[in-house]
Amino acid sequence: MSNLLAIDTPVVLEGVRKQFAGRTVLDVSRFVIAPSCCTFLAGDNGAGKTTLLRIAAGLDAPDQAAVTIDGCCRDWAAAQKQLQGNVIYFHQVPYLFDSTVADNIAYGLRFAMRSRAAIRQRVDAALDWAGLGHLAERNARQLSGGERQRVALVRAWVLAPRVLLLDEPLSAIDAHARAQTVDLIRRLKHDGAGLVITGHQAEALMPVVDERLHLQHGELSQADTTHAAGSRHQRGAPPLVLVN
Amino acid sequence: MESLSGASREAFYLLLSGDPELWTVVGISFSVSLRAILIAAPLAIVVAFVLAHARFPGRRPMLSAFNALQAVPAVVVGLTVYLLLSRSGPFGNLRLLFTQNAMILGQVLLCFPLLVALSHAALQALDRRAWETARTLGAPPWRAMLTTMHEVRFGLLAALIAGFGRIIAEVGSSLMVGGNILGATRNIPTAIALETSKGEYAQGIALGAVLLALALALNMALGMVQGRGEMA
Amino acid sequence: MRNCVALKTLLRASVLTATALLVMATAYAQSGVVRLSTTTSTENSGLLEELLPRFEQRSGLRVEVIAVGTGKALRMGRDGDVDVVLVHAPAAEEKFVANGYGVNRRQVMYNDFVIVGPRGDPAGIAGTKDAAQALARLAAQRAPFVSRGDDSGTHKMELALWRSADVQPAGQWYREAGQGMGRVLLMASELDAYTLCDRGTWLAMHEKLALRVLVQGDQRLYNPYGIIAVNPARHAGLQYTGAMALIDWIISREAQELIRGFRINNEPLFSPLAVRGP
Repeated sequence: MSNLLAIDTPVVLEGVRKQFAGRTVLDVSRFVIAPSCCTFLAGDNGAGKTTLLRIAAGLDAPDQAAVTIDGCCRDWAAAQKQLQGNVIYFHQVPYLFDSTVADNIAYGLRFAMRSRAAIRQRVDAALDWAGLGHLAERNARQLSGGERQRVALVRAWVLAPRVLLLDEPLSAIDAHARAQTVDLIRRLKHDGAGLVITGHQAEALMPVVDERLHLQHGELSQADTTHAAGSRHQRGAPPLVLVN
Repeated sequence: MESLSGASREAFYLLLSGDPELWTVVGISFSVSLRAILIAAPLAIVVAFVLAHARFPGRRPMLSAFNALQAVPAVVVGLTVYLLLSRSGPFGNLRLLFTQNAMILGQVLLCFPLLVALSHAALQALDRRAWETARTLGAPPWRAMLTTMHEVRFGLLAALIAGFGRIIAEVGSSLMVGGNILGATRNIPTAIALETSKGEYAQGIALGAVLLALALALNMALGMVQGRGEMA
Repeated sequence: MRNCVALKTLLRASVLTATALLVMATAYAQSGVVRLSTTTSTENSGLLEELLPRFEQRSGLRVEVIAVGTGKALRMGRDGDVDVVLVHAPAAEEKFVANGYGVNRRQVMYNDFVIVGPRGDPAGIAGTKDAAQALARLAAQRAPFVSRGDDSGTHKMELALWRSADVQPAGQWYREAGQGMGRVLLMASELDAYTLCDRGTWLAMHEKLALRVLVQGDQRLYNPYGIIAVNPARHAGLQYTGAMALIDWIISREAQELIRGFRINNEPLFSPLAVRGP
């Protein structure tokens, strides 16, 4: 797990273009996701936020794009595999498998670790970390919206992902669950993950956001983010995003 | 009427007394049809998965073809297998005609389109996020495929039960390619056809009762499976 | 009071229904349809198509033929589902009459059976004059044999031959198919097996088969056909007069001559029994 975190270089997507039925929905010249940084991506419905995240996660293919990971620039076919292995995409309403909470959290670990005992240990630790220990044996389908959201975040966290892309994570849950989710996001960032979060309003996320971007008609621009930019410079992290 | 009630009484005597010939026939029926469904199901479900998840030219015609093939009468399947396995056919050298393997082949072909169509319906109804979540959490494609299948396991089980129901009661293909040989390829449906042609209604009714009980059991199982699927 | 009215209505309805059924039954019996159950081999040979139209023309009756195995044909007669039965299983026919299910049994004609097998004849029974001896040799060598196994006349003939050969056929080599003659011939051909076959079906099918006739001419391979009217005392609404008219005609000199002249592939198939020789 931790070997992924040792690589402290950003994931960079350049010249990302995507058309649907002849209409350009995405035309981003440069999009950078740096470790231990949280980017808030704002934009109207249909501005292309989800499309950009899905491409960055390797789930959808763009018409064209160049991707730099670990300092090497790759064509899409090679990059897609790399993205799939390093980036976790988080649906607006997360999908939990029809199984127990513990099984859901163990899901990704089964492809990364051999030992069942080690998996079990890590799952238990994660459940404690997130305060979900009492739900371990419940069927994930029986949880409330906020609980599902947290289980999904823990499921991602145990994999120590390099990049986590969250599509409107706060839109479908109540205030209490929102606070807990933000808390988990903060811990993920602290553990070194590069985060991109989409949404309409950033207020609830303000404490964790370092950078604010705006996506309009498929094009990225830097939003007015004195506070966020300041915090980034304090941290001395590499530049997150360069627009043109 | 006298003959119906008399034959029915005799039939239940045959069933309860454990008539060996009758139970051999029942055993052959189950062994052949179970093997057929076990052979057909994995491939059919994978095909259904590809049809539900991949986008490629010819996908829609293929789906239509599988839907249409469900309606092919068993005798047509039987004739096809017969011509393939006959000594004058391309696979005559295998000497498979009039064996259980020939019956299994016929039944595999019979239930395959049904399995594909029903499994496809189940997989199609599944949220696309299931596949994407599995992939983004690091599952290799084939493991992600198993995960989505597990998510719709009740739908797939219902498909298997429906497929088994079709072939266990099928007479046309089994009679043609199996040959209805006593103790080897005589199963419940072909035995019923034979006993009726002999005027031995009791045996026919007894075997019919086994099929009826099986149909009831399968339908109840199907109902329970669907109930569980909806609950979850 | 209301109950009473309802009861009366019910009564009236039942009487009406019963009358209607009776009228229909009588109409059916008088509608001039004679129902004949017979064996598939008779129907398949094409003989009935030769015989029946002439009878229908002459008598004004229509004959409906139901072709099934001998066992079923007799069963249909016993259940009163047909008016007359034409089969080839003398022992079963005699029992049928003795049990009172049928009356006025007449012998009609005979054909013969042949033992056929792979062209190469691996068991070496070709030319044997004694059919039972030939079967005994097949059993001794465990040569594959396909049996009709369907309680048909042919099956009964085969079982009688095994009895004369003093063999209890059983085992992997002896395959009870439970199917009609044509299917059994095809199976024997596919499986390189021997079987017993009536000459009519053999003549009609032999070109499609990898088989040849190996044993023929034994007295025991002789196959007589009988016709029996279903006993009118056992079931109401049977077309007994029609059945008797058909029987009378089948054993008439004219019909017997037609039977003698009937050919498949230019070979005679049946020999008349009711009227012998010109």
